[in-house]
Amino acid sequence: MKLALLTERFYELVAPDIPNEWDVEEVLESLIDKSDPVCESILGHIPIIWPVSHCLCFDFLRLLPKTLEHLSLEQIPRWIGITLDHYETDGLRAAQRFMQDGIDQYLSNLKGSGGLNFTSIEKRLLPYIRGIARNDLQIEQAGTSYTDTTSIYVPQEVSFSTNNDNNFLLYKYILTFQWGFIACGSFISKAPSEFSHIECDKDTLWLRPFFASFEEPLLARDIYHSLESIRVQSFLNRELPGLMRAAGTHIFPRLASSITEHPLQALQQTLITNNARQSRLLGHYLSKKACKHYLLGQSTACDSIKNSIKIFSRIHQKNSEYLPISPLPFQGVLKLRAVETARKIQEQKMGEEFADMMATYLLTLSKKELGILHKQDSENKGLAESDISIIMDSKFAQTAERDKETPILVTINNEQLEMPAELEEFTKSFFDEFGHLPSHFCSSAAGKAGQAMLTQDVAGQTEESSQQTDTLLYDEWDYRRQGYRKNWCSLHFKNLSPVYSPFIQNTLDKYHGLTTRLRHQFEMMRSQEHFVKRQREGDDIDFDALVESIADSHAGISASDRLFIRLKRDDRDIAVLFLVDMSNSTAGWVNNALKESLVLMAEAMEVLGDRYGIYGFSGMRRSRCELFHVKHLSESYGEQVKGRICSIAPGEYTRMGPPIRHATSILKEIDAKVRLIITLTDGKPEDYDDYKGEYAIEDTRHALLEAKTADIHPFCITIDHQAKDYMQHMYGPANYIFIDNIQKLPLRMPEIYRVLTT
Amino acid sequence: MKPVEIRLEEHLINEEPYYLASGREIEIAMSAHKNCLPLLLKGPTGCGKTRFMQFLAWKLKRPLITVSCHDDLSTSDLIGRFLIRSGEAVWTDGPLTLAVRAGAICYLDEIVEARKDTTVVIHPLADDRRELPMEKLGELLLAPPEFMICISYNPGYQSVLKDLKPSTRQRFVAISFDYPSPEMEAEIVCKEGGVDTKLAGSLVKLAGMTRSLKESGLAEGASTRLLIQTGQLVQDGIDIHTACRAALIEPLSDDPELLAALQEMVSSIF
Repeated sequence: MKLALLTERFYELVAPDIPNEWDVEEVLESLIDKSDPVCESILGHIPIIWPVSHCLCFDFLRLLPKTLEHLSLEQIPRWIGITLDHYETDGLRAAQRFMQDGIDQYLSNLKGSGGLNFTSIEKRLLPYIRGIARNDLQIEQAGTSYTDTTSIYVPQEVSFSTNNDNNFLLYKYILTFQWGFIACGSFISKAPSEFSHIECDKDTLWLRPFFASFEEPLLARDIYHSLESIRVQSFLNRELPGLMRAAGTHIFPRLASSITEHPLQALQQTLITNNARQSRLLGHYLSKKACKHYLLGQSTACDSIKNSIKIFSRIHQKNSEYLPISPLPFQGVLKLRAVETARKIQEQKMGEEFADMMATYLLTLSKKELGILHKQDSENKGLAESDISIIMDSKFAQTAERDKETPILVTINNEQLEMPAELEEFTKSFFDEFGHLPSHFCSSAAGKAGQAMLTQDVAGQTEESSQQTDTLLYDEWDYRRQGYRKNWCSLHFKNLSPVYSPFIQNTLDKYHGLTTRLRHQFEMMRSQEHFVKRQREGDDIDFDALVESIADSHAGISASDRLFIRLKRDDRDIAVLFLVDMSNSTAGWVNNALKESLVLMAEAMEVLGDRYGIYGFSGMRRSRCELFHVKHLSESYGEQVKGRICSIAPGEYTRMGPPIRHATSILKEIDAKVRLIITLTDGKPEDYDDYKGEYAIEDTRHALLEAKTADIHPFCITIDHQAKDYMQHMYGPANYIFIDNIQKLPLRMPEIYRVLTT
Repeated sequence: MKPVEIRLEEHLINEEPYYLASGREIEIAMSAHKNCLPLLLKGPTGCGKTRFMQFLAWKLKRPLITVSCHDDLSTSDLIGRFLIRSGEAVWTDGPLTLAVRAGAICYLDEIVEARKDTTVVIHPLADDRRELPMEKLGELLLAPPEFMICISYNPGYQSVLKDLKPSTRQRFVAISFDYPSPEMEAEIVCKEGGVDTKLAGSLVKLAGMTRSLKESGLAEGASTRLLIQTGQLVQDGIDIHTACRAALIEPLSDDPELLAALQEMVSSIF
């Protein structure tokens, strides 16, 4: 195609922009000797790249001869897509670098020879990072690496080397490095005392207004990020020297680059260079003393703030736009908004917990204490949002280094009341974490308490009519008065109407391999045989007993006639009741996994021969706790039972006390060596009324203690992430298990049962 | 009774065993001994229960007779039986009887492993009666004030079959053991494993990481004992990575993914 024609087409495609003719002709020259269809195909990409970046579009055309040497016309659109991804996530320089040098890597990825997919190593790295971080960090996949402090995001694929061991190492280093930012406290949320003049609202990380206070916020951000990266690296040098040695050998040399177009790139190079060069490079920007502090890991995030200001003033060029440099792969990016979102979620979670606890506390107050409140709101019978406020000692609220002993007082309608210890502790930790307590959580607590009072009254009125023939009354433990509320809950027995669906068959097909293995394992348990010594009759002579008997007769004692060994099949004699949480929160995946687990469990139990029953529980308020019959202890596992398992569906709330008490009363009547209640749940006990927080936990705990007193072992399988905090209190340290992935429940449950009863 | 005396000699601990107290456990145990009360030690495996017993025995200058319980342990195994020697029936004391006679400390390790009917024989010894009925001899052995009975178990086992009967547990003064604080644990590993402070610190850091994996499928994290053993292997010239693999990681789990994750922790720390 002729140059004039090419130029004309180009201007048509980029209209209304009119770029410099010189530049256009220069980049289009390479297309002159190409056929018309090839030129048209290439020009077809211009409308895609031009609006994103003019500069990148020119680069694309300039590099075209090289690109066409390696890629076919069909491969180019995908390649452009990836280039634009790089542009959007890491900026122009990263995209240019990819265009320039990334073709080989791109090709090897296409062939599937280069690159390591994260999915294939996730199971290895998740426990690794949780162990290192000593908490339950999550790992997610994203286009670029970063952390929001609750999860670490890593690329779906790493293809930085053709050797996958190195790719694995890079993944490991990325994860550890990102955790380093969390461990080193890089995400400053509150203004350091020297910088209190830079204000930020409560939902914003202080770093954001700090960066915004610069003429070039992106440059300030990148300087801070680089300094923090150096700090993280020093921290890792101290904490995980093995990892740093491996990274020094296999990662850093490959990332070393001589390009130092921007002063920040030199700062970045300190991360992948040896000690001597490190101090030299850093020495350009920091004082000797600061340099030493950084390299020895003695600096703080606040130092990075101060040094960012100094470095900024040195390297910022007025009137020139800063194009963000691309970070090193393990450095990732600082995504402050993501951190803010994660904090917000965490705050919401803790806030809701606070509201629950507060509502429970309000319900413990006498009517007199709340009298003023009630009178004011007699119209809507609830507590108004403005009626409750939390007032703290002013010293507590304002100083960063406050005294842990400072009490928090709650003031309700100008009446100061003492907070229960647990609530006070929780509120303090909330303040420590977030620096404030949003008032809507107080309003929410007031609302919840008000609603519960209302329902209590209604429940009181309808109490008489709730006693039906298929209903039993159970006491409930009130920890506040350290006594039982007599006949407080009515438990209704309901039948689930069987649903005949292919669910059972599908589950058995899905876990075919597992069921075979389970069957075998459970058979082994059933046929647990052992020799019983000192029997009157048996298969073999018990020599120990014989010797003893002869010796006894010599000693003049009447010799025992129990001289045989008998092979005895162990009589398991176990009766177990499964209580399945059918609360509303189990809707969806959880309910499905619960049902699948029950199917697998029932299949395995049939082999084992242990007596077992299955009941579901749900309900709303104390007047309507419901127990759904799936399988009685003596019932056989037939079509009816299968149908009932299929019909298990989410109901309302989780009032755990009554079903546990009922299960205890069933098992009390059963003669078995070991009696077990296994509860399957997805969260805390909770009901619509005041059955929440500490009250609900204490009642459940008491119901479990009653079971233990009757020599019945309670055990709980939970999928609640927060379970650790309250499960231990309710069930005791070794009597519950937490399953982090609901999809694993069907696999784990029979295994748990096996361990539990052998 | 000559043979008995000879055997008791072997159970006396003459050299002070290394034990670093983490709380007031020594004080409590001494007081329990003074008041003739039995002792129950509970805690995870390898956290120093047995070592504590050795230390206590040394401090009280009493012989320590240890019985490792198993599910085939019979009452005769504890109390004693008649044996025939040169055509004559000779009574031979079991370890429990031996300890009662000598006023020693009888330590029943991992008591929950023994069958429940066997453990019942210690009941009269463990309350204020402090007597051991010996049916075959027709004797009622009264325990001297120096005698002490101690049992231990690990409450972390989730099997409902391995639990202590309330009637048994409610006779004892109980001391709960846990892994020591990192500084203390490093000191112990340093001293017992014979490694330098830096390596001991790193081993303790690794143990801390494994212990936080309890919710991720690891039944129990690395015990202090495992750390000491790793230290000993290193002291013997085995490189740290191999030593960790053999003495710290492999004993913890059989799950390939968890093992791989643990190996990654080792390679990160060392």
